[in-house]
Amino acid sequence: MTAAPLPTGDLRTGTLPDDAILVRARGVTKRFGGLVAVNAVNFDIPRGAIVSLIGPNGAGKTTFFNMITGAYTPTSGDITFDGHAIVRMAGSKVRSLKPFQVTALGIGRTFQNIRLFGTMSALDNVRVGLHVHLKSHWWDAVLRTPGMRAEEQRSIERGLELLDIVGLSGRADVWARNLPYGDQRRLEIGRALATNPKLLLLDEPTAGMNSSETAEMTDFIRRLRRDFGLTVLLIEHDMRVVMGISDRVTVLDYGEVIAEGTPVEVRANPRVIEAYLGRGAAAEA
Amino acid sequence: MSAAAKPIKPGLVGWFGYLLESAMAVPGAYRDALVRRPRRTIALTALIVFGLLYPILNRQIFQPWNRASTFPLPFPEDAVVTFMIIFAIMAIGLNIVAGFAGLLDLGYVAFYALGAYTAAFFASPHFGSVTFILFSEAPPGFPGIHLPFWILVPLGFLVAATFGVLLGAPTLRLRGDYLAIVTLGFGEIVPVVFKNLSAVNFEFGPIRLVNANLTGGNLGINPIDAPRFFGISFGSNSGIAAVYLGLILLLGAIVVARNLERSRMGRAWMAIREDEVAAEMMGINTVRTKLLAFGLGASFAGVAGVMQASYQGITTSDFFQFSTSILVLIMIILGGIGNIWGVIVGALGLVFLDSTFLPYLGLRFTAINPDLPNPSQFNFLIFGILLVVMMRFRPEGFIPNRQRAAELRHAPPGQAIGSAAVLGEEALADEAKADEIAAEQVAEVEAEAAAAADAEAESATEGDQPR
Repeated sequence: MTAAPLPTGDLRTGTLPDDAILVRARGVTKRFGGLVAVNAVNFDIPRGAIVSLIGPNGAGKTTFFNMITGAYTPTSGDITFDGHAIVRMAGSKVRSLKPFQVTALGIGRTFQNIRLFGTMSALDNVRVGLHVHLKSHWWDAVLRTPGMRAEEQRSIERGLELLDIVGLSGRADVWARNLPYGDQRRLEIGRALATNPKLLLLDEPTAGMNSSETAEMTDFIRRLRRDFGLTVLLIEHDMRVVMGISDRVTVLDYGEVIAEGTPVEVRANPRVIEAYLGRGAAAEA
Repeated sequence: MSAAAKPIKPGLVGWFGYLLESAMAVPGAYRDALVRRPRRTIALTALIVFGLLYPILNRQIFQPWNRASTFPLPFPEDAVVTFMIIFAIMAIGLNIVAGFAGLLDLGYVAFYALGAYTAAFFASPHFGSVTFILFSEAPPGFPGIHLPFWILVPLGFLVAATFGVLLGAPTLRLRGDYLAIVTLGFGEIVPVVFKNLSAVNFEFGPIRLVNANLTGGNLGINPIDAPRFFGISFGSNSGIAAVYLGLILLLGAIVVARNLERSRMGRAWMAIREDEVAAEMMGINTVRTKLLAFGLGASFAGVAGVMQASYQGITTSDFFQFSTSILVLIMIILGGIGNIWGVIVGALGLVFLDSTFLPYLGLRFTAINPDLPNPSQFNFLIFGILLVVMMRFRPEGFIPNRQRAAELRHAPPGQAIGSAAVLGEEALADEAKADEIAAEQVAEVEAEAAAAADAEAESATEGDQPR
């Protein structure tokens, strides 16, 4: 449970060793009818890093998220995760794994607008996340075999442990929809952690939070990376969060990568300033 | 909580130990309930004892009294009680599909028909050209295929489950309304197929059918062997015995449904009902999980169908109409969708209403004045009114599922936290104290199963929240 050493080397010059890259996306394009939401994006996520994906509204961030998790099938492109092909071209056809298969490989996610199972208890929400790792069949459940009951007991213990980690101990029995907003965000992360991910995708984890809650969440994400050896991909609008937490930042605009680098580099990039503030501001800067 | 810490012994020994332990814990759990909620416990016990003894009381006291009295009361006959139980089994099955997984199935009667025809094919002289008797108590050399009831039940289960999966596989990618329409079609097709396969000409390889009467057409199949154990018949002429046989099946159905609900699969079904996209993102194979709900739900109707055919000794396609699908749906909605006890109460109450109470009212009315309308001719009108009234005043049903109740009532979060926390705590204790609760469960199962025999729809109001 010690911090994974950050990979050294530079992505752009290709000095980063291959096995240090957890997610490799190549030429990923998604068209919705005439609209190109994501256009030929190349994107690498180094193992153990916190990578942010930023860009103005409608830049294609969430679409890209949805392609990594298998929710959307790209129009073209390849995505590999930890040596497994999530999206691959088979001739002219694009094959994508199903979301539940992607989850089983080790990608957990949260949603921009919280999507908990509202009338299930916090504990049961987390236990749904554990589903992939439980093996008992329906006939085991019907007979309540010792194996099944032991597994259920383990899932309760693990679920309580995870609730503890996300700071929801004592709220195991509260329905998800009755939790305060911040707790719901945490519970979503807890549920994602239950799938035992290597990569955690967080879609605007601090949306709607005040500055102290935001600071808390930032700390929490750092702690998660450290304690679970996670790699984190973040979509975020709050620039303080992005600049404070990220090892690398990728900027999307109109579905294309316009900048990529460390927070400092990206902040100084004129194209980024232009995308966010307009051409005039970029000229002034 | 000490029970949770106890290590779970693996293997067959562990399983039997668990069953034994659960059974041993029943008296303790009962005593506990008696102390904690004495009035509810005593009322439920009385109801259960009455329910269990009802067939006997009915035969010895109520029916003679009705015959002799100038003012008879609506006591259901054995046949009605048996059908209450058959419909309760179906309601439990449909509750898995519609209540747990949230899939609207409007053609549930198809699986009932499949179960009934399974019994008809494999336990009747219908296929007279063959003689195949296996473990059955049919006389040796009797024409036709004859399998015993205890084989027919799992067979009906399997046949219905298989067709559930066959229907589900292509259709469960559909959502909401589309699924409802496809199942509606299936529910219409199956009985029509059974009606029309009376003169089949078919040739394929070694199989050659010339004008073969597969399903008996309009006349159906008749006579179907009554369930027999140790030389005793449990058919419609047995009266009481059939009721208790049905109760055993119902008890099995309750245990299976309860155990499924409190498992990984049960949680997955609920997750899908709550938010299908999020469920899939959390690693649930939604198509497969929905298919399982569909197949398992269907299998309950298969068992109910076997019971129907074996009990009545006849099955025709006319028994399996769209209105039956709707009736079962009304049962689970009125009783409390998502709650096993609720849907059982709904089934018992509605069959009682349909087969005993409304005809009884009709008799009373015509006794007063022959021109008065007979309510039993307007049964679906009355169910409709009942539904409307129910939706206005208690949309979650008689014995609601907590989750559904909350969804339907839109309780403001702040107000609900306290109660939800308490309820949730109960649920948690449920899980943690698996052993103890299992014992309680057995007690409750027995209790409720017994109540099943009970005729009075009052059980609905009586058992306020028997989970």
